[in-house]
Order: sequence, then C-alpha cells, then structure tokens
Amino acid sequence: MQVSKRQFLKGVGALLTGVSVYGATRTLQADSLLQPEPESETKYAMVHDENACIGCNACVQACREANQIPEGVTRVKIERKGPFGEYPNQSYRFSRVSCQHCEAAPCVRVCPTGAAYIDKETGIVAVNGDRCVGCQYCIAACPYQVRYIHPETRTADKCDFCQKTRLAQGLQPACVEACPTKALTFGNLKDPESELVKLLKAKPSYRAKVDLGTRPKLFHIQTIDGEIML
Amino acid sequence: MSAFHFEGLVWHWPIAIYLFLAGLSAGAVFFAIMLKHFKLFHEAWHSPFVQAAAIIAPIAVFGGLGILVFDLTRPLDFWKILVFYNTSSVMSMGVLVLMAYQVVLFAWIACVFHVRIGQLLGNRLAIVRRLLNWLVLQEAAITGILVILAISLGAYTGFLLSALIGFPLLNNPVLPLLFLISGLSSGAAATLLGGVLLRGNPNGVEVRFIHGIEIPLILVEIGLLFTFFAGLILSGGQSQVAALNALGFGFWGWIFWAGVIGIGLTLPLAFNLWMKVSADRKFAYVAVTASFSLLGVFLLRNFILYTGQMTGT
Repeated sequence: MQVSKRQFLKGVGALLTGVSVYGATRTLQADSLLQPEPESETKYAMVHDENACIGCNACVQACREANQIPEGVTRVKIERKGPFGEYPNQSYRFSRVSCQHCEAAPCVRVCPTGAAYIDKETGIVAVNGDRCVGCQYCIAACPYQVRYIHPETRTADKCDFCQKTRLAQGLQPACVEACPTKALTFGNLKDPESELVKLLKAKPSYRAKVDLGTRPKLFHIQTIDGEIML
Repeated sequence: MSAFHFEGLVWHWPIAIYLFLAGLSAGAVFFAIMLKHFKLFHEAWHSPFVQAAAIIAPIAVFGGLGILVFDLTRPLDFWKILVFYNTSSVMSMGVLVLMAYQVVLFAWIACVFHVRIGQLLGNRLAIVRRLLNWLVLQEAAITGILVILAISLGAYTGFLLSALIGFPLLNNPVLPLLFLISGLSSGAAATLLGGVLLRGNPNGVEVRFIHGIEIPLILVEIGLLFTFFAGLILSGGQSQVAALNALGFGFWGWIFWAGVIGIGLTLPLAFNLWMKVSADRKFAYVAVTASFSLLGVFLLRNFILYTGQMTGT
C-alpha cells in the first residue's frame, strides 16, 4: 500500500510538472513565434433611436418575413413602457430587445460544441445549426434573453443582422429597411465615415447591462420625453 | 407567476434530477472509497454498503445522463457533445470529467470486487483475468484519480449553474461548494439506505463511520446555505431581490424552509445525534434518516434551479 501510494504521488507530481513546463514554454512561444491575427476591417453594430421609434412593430414583421421566423418565436421585440403623463399628452417608451452581438458573448463561452460562435469577419454572433444539440445552455446564459429554440429546426436561433438572408446580397437588415421612422441604423463600427459611427458620435447612447462585461454592440439612444425613472 | 412556469425559465425539473443524480453518484463513490480505505480494507467487497454504492453510483450517473440526453431538443445529435469540445464551456469540460469518471469508476469497481469477478470467471477469458490483475496492481492510482474525479463531478454540477451570469442567485461562488457538500451527503444517504436494504447491519462499523462524517457535513451545509443567502442579501440590487423572492412566503419558500431546512437538514441532524448518543442503531432509524436526507437534497436542487431563474439581472 505504502509503495503504491508513493507511486501515485510520483505520478501526480510528474503530471503537474509536465503541465507547468508545457504552460511555461507555451507563454514563451506566444511572445516570440505566434503572430497576432490581423483584425478584420468590419465590425457590424446597430443603433436603436428611442426618440424616433413609435412601437409599430414593422421591424418585427419584416424580420419574420425575411428570415422565415415561425409563429410563437421572434428575433426582435419592441418593449413598451408607459403610458406616461395625462391624456391627451401621453407618451410611451419603446426599446428594442434582440441579440446584442456581444464582443464577449456568454452564449459563445458556454456552448459545449462551438455551435454558437463569433464570426471573425463581421463581429456577428452566429449559430452553426449543424453543431447545435439543443442543450439550451446558451439560452440560459444570455443575460438579454433573446435566444430561443427554433420550432422547426430544433436548434438555437436569434438575430444575426440578416447575415444569411440579406447582408450576403449587399442589403441592409430587414428591420432597418422596414422602419418607417428611420429609428434603426446599421453599419460598420470600424468605418469612421459610416452613418452608424456619425450617429454614435453625435448623440449620447447607452447599452444594456454593460456591468456584466459582455460588451454588447446594440446601442440605444435614450428617449427624452416621459418622466424621469429611478 | 406560478412556481413551475414563468418568464425566463429555460431549464426545468429534468435538469434538477440530473444535477441530483450526478452529485449522488459522486457522493456514493466518495463514501465507498472512504469505507474501503479507512475501515474495511481488503474485506470491502463483502460489505453490503460498499456493494450498494457500487450499484448506485453507475446507475445514478447513467440515469442522470439519460435524462440529460432526452431533455435535449435534438437527442439524436447528442454525440456531437462527445466529439466537439469548447474549453471555455463548463458543460463541455464537465462532459470530459463525466467520461473519465465513468471509465475510472468501472476500473475501481473491478479492483474492489476482483476476487468475486475472478470466481465468476473461473477458467474462462484469460485476457479479462490478465486485465483484472493489471488493474489491481494500479489500484492506488485508480482510487486517487477517482476521488479527484468524484469531487470534480460534485462541484461541476454547481459550476454549470454558476456560469449563468444573467441570474444573480446562480452566478454565485458558493454554489459549487454547496452542491458538492450536499451531493456528498446525498451519496452518504444513498449508500446507507442501499446498504441496510441489502441486509447490512444498521449498527455496523460502516454506518457508524458514515454517520461520523455526515454530522459535520450537515453542519457545513447549513453554514454554506447561510453564507449563500447572506452573501446575496448583502450584495443588494437584484441579488437581494432574488434571495428574498426565493426565501419568502411563496411555494418555493415553503419548499426551502420545510423541505430543505426541516426535512433535509434539521431532522437528519437530530436523528444522527440521537443515534450517536443511544448505543443502538435500528434499520428503521437508518432508513428513515437517509430517506429524509435524500429528499432534502433533491428539493434543494429544484429550489435552486427554479428560484435561480426567477430573477434576472
């Protein structure tokens, strides 16, 4: 028994030494050999201007048609708060709820198979349906609660900025096209000349739940009417 | 808002059963190893309690994984979890632990019962006998690795939930410890219950040994539960809301106070202390105490899973 215990401890010691040596040499390699990957020139983002939004849900319908989203689920919701004030001077507040395309996406971190991934070319958080087994870990992990199981494919699904349906044809996302008040702006964060960057530099914006460290890329411009909320 | 159906609920009771069974399996293995190593030595394979643990541990872990596979939206694609790995995913790393755990568990069971397996084999299958002899030579290493894997598995069931950053009650550093300790005590209870059902002596050395560990375990579990909720309440904000929602006068509040604290911790602790001072342990005492412990841990898994998903950030 004593001999085997000693052997076991030796084995564990050898294993730990091996792991630490491997780890130490890898960090050296990282400094000297491994070139950092060149960053893509494109990083898509979206702005929702809550002053312009009238809560008509045209974006929801357009998305449904463009991406063939079945009844019962949706990639985008417009949440309504209110009414504020007395009739006839009443107002509502509308805010967009959809995938935030986080830079540090919790769904991507928890996905056991890598079905949830960040597209390096565009910064879009996407789903590879072939890899998805439907464990729903991503749905539970998303603090924005925008993911769902697609009733037909049985895989996780959410907004992908229309990457598969419209961006490929050089078109804007369906919701942006459909908005009657031009409350939605889509574009490249890395292009200083884009409408999106100009708008973000012109008006103060906020992003949801930044304290979680997810670094979302869906920006909201806060409405100025209605009452002050605490 | 009902107790079992509410906005934001993603994982429901099958997951709670899985978390319960995985912890129970790890706990049963842990106590079987302790019994063999500290009390029974080479006689372990005669003990109904070690036999019970050796039956319960594989069945619980298979049952749990079976439930997990059926709860996937694409059960037939489950093999992809075994083929594709993501090192940042708690679930993915847990699958690795589970695979290794099952292999080492069967190796350990073969070591413990090698005499009996040898008798059953007789002169057939010389290759199996050679493998068995080789395993017995490696027993110390197998045992050591299995202890590490069992503890990893017990804690993993907690890490799985604490990785969910959108839910303050789950995203809590105490949760893996709480699930590990309660998993170990459920394993102890299952081993005791199975042992006395297999006609083990309720007053024997195994029961005394396990009860000796179980009393401190229950006390630690009470301390961890207190730390868990005190920490949430002192954090303020949504953490506080989540804790007060869970502990309040709703359905889950009753489950917690009457089920987890009352039936699951207080009564077994009282019975254990009573059995410690009265010299004699009877079958009914051991069986009832173990059943209460098991029920309490099962309710705790459901309570944490459901109340955890009720309050987001």
